[in-house]
This record gives sequence, C-alpha cells and structure tokens, in this order.
Amino acid sequence: MNIHVVAMVVSVVIFLFVIDLVRRRRLTFKYAIAWLFVSAGAIFFAVFYKLLFACAAFLGFELPSNFIFFALFCVFVFLSLLLTVFLCQQNNRNDIMAQKIALLEFELKELKKKLKVE
Amino acid sequence: MYFGRAYFSEKMLGQGNEGPSLSPAVKKILAIVPAFNECGNIGRTVEEILKTAHGVDILVIDDGSWDSTAEEARQAGGMVVSLPFNLGIGAAVQTGFQYAQRHHYDIAVQIDGDGQHDASFLDKIVGPIRRDEADLVVGSRFLEKTGGFQSSFGRRVGINFFVHLINALTGVKVSDPTSGFRAYNKKMIALFSEYYPHDFPEPEAIVVTQQAAGRIVEVPVVMRKRGAGSSSIRYFKTLYYMAKVTLAILLHMIRQRRYEA
Repeated sequence: MNIHVVAMVVSVVIFLFVIDLVRRRRLTFKYAIAWLFVSAGAIFFAVFYKLLFACAAFLGFELPSNFIFFALFCVFVFLSLLLTVFLCQQNNRNDIMAQKIALLEFELKELKKKLKVE
Repeated sequence: MYFGRAYFSEKMLGQGNEGPSLSPAVKKILAIVPAFNECGNIGRTVEEILKTAHGVDILVIDDGSWDSTAEEARQAGGMVVSLPFNLGIGAAVQTGFQYAQRHHYDIAVQIDGDGQHDASFLDKIVGPIRRDEADLVVGSRFLEKTGGFQSSFGRRVGINFFVHLINALTGVKVSDPTSGFRAYNKKMIALFSEYYPHDFPEPEAIVVTQQAAGRIVEVPVVMRKRGAGSSSIRYFKTLYYMAKVTLAILLHMIRQRRYEA
C-alpha cells in the first residue's frame, strides 16, 4: 500500500473526527479551530507531498521525514502551550467562583439565622 | 476573571462615596484567620483573639479542611467561611479581603490559625494604620531581640535571602518578609481583594504593595512555636519554597501592572 494514501487517509480521518466532535458539541469552536487547521494542513501536505519535499529541501533538511517530525513537534509545543493558557484561565475562574460560593453560602446562613430570630 | 473583576470594580467605585461618616477612633476591624486542617489549634486561636481584642470580628477561612476545623472555630465564636475545596493560603486570605471589602471594614488583620501568632500584639500591629502611618503593617520576629520562637536555622537563612532579594529589587527594607501576622488598611483590602498572590503569598505581597505605592511599616512581635500538626511549609520543602517565591517575585517585576492603588 502506498504510504501517501495511508497519510492521506489518516489526516482525513482526524479532520472528520474533529468536525464530528464539533457537531456532537463535544468540542466548541474556540478549541476546535486549532485542531481543524492542523488536520487541514496535514491533508494538504498528504496530497501535495512534492511541495512538502520541496519545503524540506529548501529549509535544508536532508530527509523529508525529519522535516515532518520537526514541524509536528513545533505544532504540538504550540498547541500544548495554548492548552496551558486555557487551563490557567479555567483555574483562575474556578478559584474566583469557589471564593464567591463560600462567601455567598456564609451570608445565606447568616441571613437564615437572622430570619429565624425575628 | 470577568465574573470577579466586574463585581469588585463596581464595589470599589462605590467606596469613595462613603465619606468619613465614622469618627476616626471607631474603626471596624476584621481578623482574617486562614486555617487548613487546624483542629486542635483553631479553637484556641479564636478564643484568644476574642479575649485579647475587643470589638474585633473574627472570620475564619476554612480552606477545604477535612477535619473539624470549621466546627471548632464556630463553637469558639468565630464566623466561618468554608471554601468548597483547598485553594491554598493566598486564595484563602484573599477570600477574607473580599469579605472585608464587601462589609466595609476599615482594617483587616491576618492571623495564622495554627497558634503561632499572639493575639495580644493585635493592637500594636493595628497601631500604625490607626494613625494612618502605614497601608500594610508586618509583624516581625527579627526587628528587635524580642525572644520567642525564631524559626529554625535553615528557615532563617531562607528568610534572610528574601530580605535581601526584596531590598535589591524594590528598595523596601523588611526584616521578616515571610511573616503572616499583618494588618491592612482599606486601600490594601481593596487592592488585595481583587489581586492577591497565591501559593506562598507573603513575600510577594510586599512587592505588590510597594508597586502600588503602599506604605509598609514593621512592628516587633513575639511568635510562638506552632501548636498541634505541622506547618504547610515542611522542612525539606524550604528550598523549593525559596526557589518558587524567588521566581514569582522576579516574574512580578516583568508583569503588566494590572492593579492600581
């Protein structure tokens, strides 16, 4: 079996999988967009692999496979950094909500106590 | 972010309109006592504050404890806010500032729930704020040769390191930057209820205060060895603590100034 066909099939499957996740609302657009771009890029280069080889040669990679590994590595570093940012934001919001819930709960209890007395 | 910020900035706007309705002698004081699994200590701490400092409201922040900390504190006569899970000392103390801000306290005093801090120094620590000489007052073990618990040798080396680091970066001279026995005025309450460093906040909070042009004054206090249980900073963790706080302070220096005085 031709390796290009395999690459193409895999990248199309990933692309469709992301779209399906969005369709079933398991992924929101905000988080899906990065993955859509990555998988679209993968399909593009699987189809036009000669372009990929040209890029690799132009950038001075002796083996096109090294270029692919390097590019993938960069993409994943960027994606994980992005995810860390999201995580951090969620963590902050979580803390703020926990503080607010605790304060509200306390004030609710105090109010109930007051009402009972009266 | 939006949730918290929108609410608190609204609150801060309202603050200016109050005016000096209270006479300067009458100040509403809130003692903020962060506690994480301090059953066995917290009751005594609260009782001691009630005994030695009259007219001070006590707010214990139960930071997701799984022992009877909250119950013990309530029985001793403190108000108890229970966080749904452990957020760390910084966020716990910040919850106290948020309460103080919402209920218009003039002064907040932070006292550890483990019995290290002697409540009889509360008046002394609040003094500079009453006289409007300081925005932040830090109770220091090392300012005068007062005796009492002076921490282990390793810990003192670490503390000294922060003394010099903070001095070199900000020009502020504090002798006990890790002390959690502190008093804050309205300005600091407003600032810290919106932004307060997490994890190991004390040294960082000094840097934040300086950047917000707050006046920092130190007052000599005597500390005791903590009662039951173990400190949140264990012996082998001291080095990790130092590295982390150093990095945090350095990151502070390059951070965008989102907070204003």
